[in-house]
Amino acid sequence: MRHLAWIALVLSACGGGKSPGVQSLDQLANKCAAPRSGTDPVTGKAFPDGPGSLSNEKAFLRAWIDELYLWYREVPAADPNQSATAIDYFNALKTPATTPSGNPKDRFHFTQATVDWEQLSQSGVDAGYGVQFVLIASRPPRKLVVAYVEPGSPAAGKIDRGADIQKIDGVAVLDGNPAPLNAGLSPAKLGETHTFDYKDVAGATHTVALTSASITHVPVQSVGTVATGANFKVGYMLFNDHLATAEKALVDAVTTLKGQGITELVLDIRYNGGGFLAIASELGYMLAGPGATGSKFFEKTQYNDKYPTTDPFSGRALTPTPFYNTSVGLSVNQGAPLPHLDLQRVFVLTGKSTCSASESVINGLRGVDVQVVQIGGTTCGKPYGFVPQDNCGTTYFSIQFQGVNAKGFGDYADGFEPGGITPSGVAGCKVADDFTHALGDPAEARLAAALQYRATQTCPPASASVAHGLTAGAGDGEAIRNFWRENRWQ
Amino acid sequence: MRRLPWAAMVLLGACKTPQPMDTPAIIDKPGIRSREAVMTAVSEALGGANVTLAADALTKSSLLIINRRPLRDSAGRPVQGRETQMPERFFLVKSGAQCVLVHEKTGKRYPIGAVGCVEAK
Repeated sequence: MRHLAWIALVLSACGGGKSPGVQSLDQLANKCAAPRSGTDPVTGKAFPDGPGSLSNEKAFLRAWIDELYLWYREVPAADPNQSATAIDYFNALKTPATTPSGNPKDRFHFTQATVDWEQLSQSGVDAGYGVQFVLIASRPPRKLVVAYVEPGSPAAGKIDRGADIQKIDGVAVLDGNPAPLNAGLSPAKLGETHTFDYKDVAGATHTVALTSASITHVPVQSVGTVATGANFKVGYMLFNDHLATAEKALVDAVTTLKGQGITELVLDIRYNGGGFLAIASELGYMLAGPGATGSKFFEKTQYNDKYPTTDPFSGRALTPTPFYNTSVGLSVNQGAPLPHLDLQRVFVLTGKSTCSASESVINGLRGVDVQVVQIGGTTCGKPYGFVPQDNCGTTYFSIQFQGVNAKGFGDYADGFEPGGITPSGVAGCKVADDFTHALGDPAEARLAAALQYRATQTCPPASASVAHGLTAGAGDGEAIRNFWRENRWQ
Repeated sequence: MRRLPWAAMVLLGACKTPQPMDTPAIIDKPGIRSREAVMTAVSEALGGANVTLAADALTKSSLLIINRRPLRDSAGRPVQGRETQMPERFFLVKSGAQCVLVHEKTGKRYPIGAVGCVEAK
C-alpha cells in the first residue's frame, strides 16, 4: 500500500505499534468489505484490496489516525459499532477541540472516492466556464458575483468581474430552488450550456449562455506598476493558483517587475487557495532575495510527536523546505536561477480564499523578517497538510503535519488577520472585496488601501469598501471555480 | 537543428540510448484526434488513469505537465493546498519523421503516430 511500507516497518520494529491496540498498518490495510478488482489506473498494478469486512476497514482507520493524525491524542474513543460506514467512523476520528476564536480546530477532515481523487489533468486545466464566482451568501437571500474571468476562456468578453448573478437557467439566485442553481453552476459534464442573467457594475442587465469546457487557468495576471513617485515605484501582481505552470509565470512576472525597477510590491492572493508548496517557497525567495533568506528555511514540517525527526512516509530525516533559489523544475528547467526583487516589505491582498500554500508565503516571509502588510480579509487558517490515503476505494484526508516558519511560528489556525492583535495578526487594514473595480485597478478598494497604507500608514474608513450594497467585511465569500466539488447552495 | 540537453539527460537517466535526432516539437494541426492520441499516450504512461487535457495541449509548448485533477473542498479551496509531490512531465519531440511523447520520469517513449508535429520555435 502506498505510503505505508516504511511506517509498517517502524511499527513492527516497535512490537506492533506505540499506540494501544494499534497493529501494523499494512496488516490492517486493504481488507475490504467490497474489494475492488482489476487494475488500479494509477499504479498500473492490480488493486491491493483483499477480502475483509467493515470492521477491518474501521480498524485500519483507527490505527492510521492513531499513528499519523497530528492531534491523535485528542481523538475521542469513538465506538466503531456506532458508525454505519467506514466514512462515518472516520468522521468521528478527529479532535473535537476548538481554536481560540471558537472554530473547530480541524476543519479539514475529508474523504473522496479514490476513483475521483486519482483523476488526472493537465496542469492548470479544469472543467468550467472560465469564471471565478464568489458566493457571498449561500443561504437566502443569496448573493453570487463574478470575481474574475480567465483570459481566453469561453466566458471572456461575455461577463466581467462584478457581475451580480440574478438567475441561472431562469431560477433566482436570491431565493430559488438550489438544485437547478447547483446544476447550472456545477455542470455534470463538458459541453453543457447554461444561461446566466446578471447585472453589471453599472446596473445594466444582461443574459449570457456559458458552455462548460476545459479551461486553462492563467495563474499570474495583471503584472505591472500601479504607482510611481519621486523615490518609489509600486508593482502589482495577481497570483491566483500555485499551479505547476505558475513557476514559469512567476519567474516571468518577477523578471518584468524587476525590469520596471519596482521598489515595493502588492501581491494579490485574495483568491489563491494554495497548491505546490515549492511554488510558495520560490515566490518567497523571489520577493525577499538572497540577503534576507540566506541560510534560513522557508517552512519546516512538524508531524505528531511519534515522528519528531523523521518523515513518516519516506523514513528519512525531516529537513525543512528551503527558500528555493533555483527552479525545482515544475515548468521552468530545473536548476535555473530565480530572479529576485530583494524587497524589505510586501503588501498582500487577502481574503478567506487565501489558504494553505498562500498562507505559507505570508508566514515564510515573516519568518525572515520581511515586513508583511495585509490588506483585505482574514485568511482561511490552514497551516496544515496531509498525505491522502486510499483504503478500499475511499481516499482519506486527515491532518498530519503543520508548517512553521524560520521563527518556529505556525499557529494561525484562525487565519492571518489584517490589523489583528493576536500572534496571527498582521499589520494592515480590513477592507472588503471591491467587485466594482477590476483587479489591479488602483481604485479597487483593497489595492487602494494598500497604496494608502504605503503612503500614510493609515487605513481607509471601514465604510469605504462597498460593492453592490455589501458593507465592509461582508464582501468576502467563498470562491467557486470548477465542478469537482460539493454543492454549497442551501 | 537544435539539440535537447534535457532530452539527452532524460534518456541517459533512464538508461536508454540518447536520440540525437530529437528536437522539441509542438502539434501543428490540433484536433480531437491529436488530443485523443496524446491522452492515450499519457494514460498509458501513467497506468491507465483518465486524463483531462486542454484543447490546445502541446500546441504552444513541447512541455506537458500532468497532475491530479484539482479537487476542491466545500468552501471552494483546493483540497491539497500544500502539495509536495511533483507532477509528471512529458515532452513532445520530433524524432526523424515521428512525433514521440517522452515521459521525463521513466524516459519511456510513446510514439503518437496519428499526430502531426513540427519543431518548436
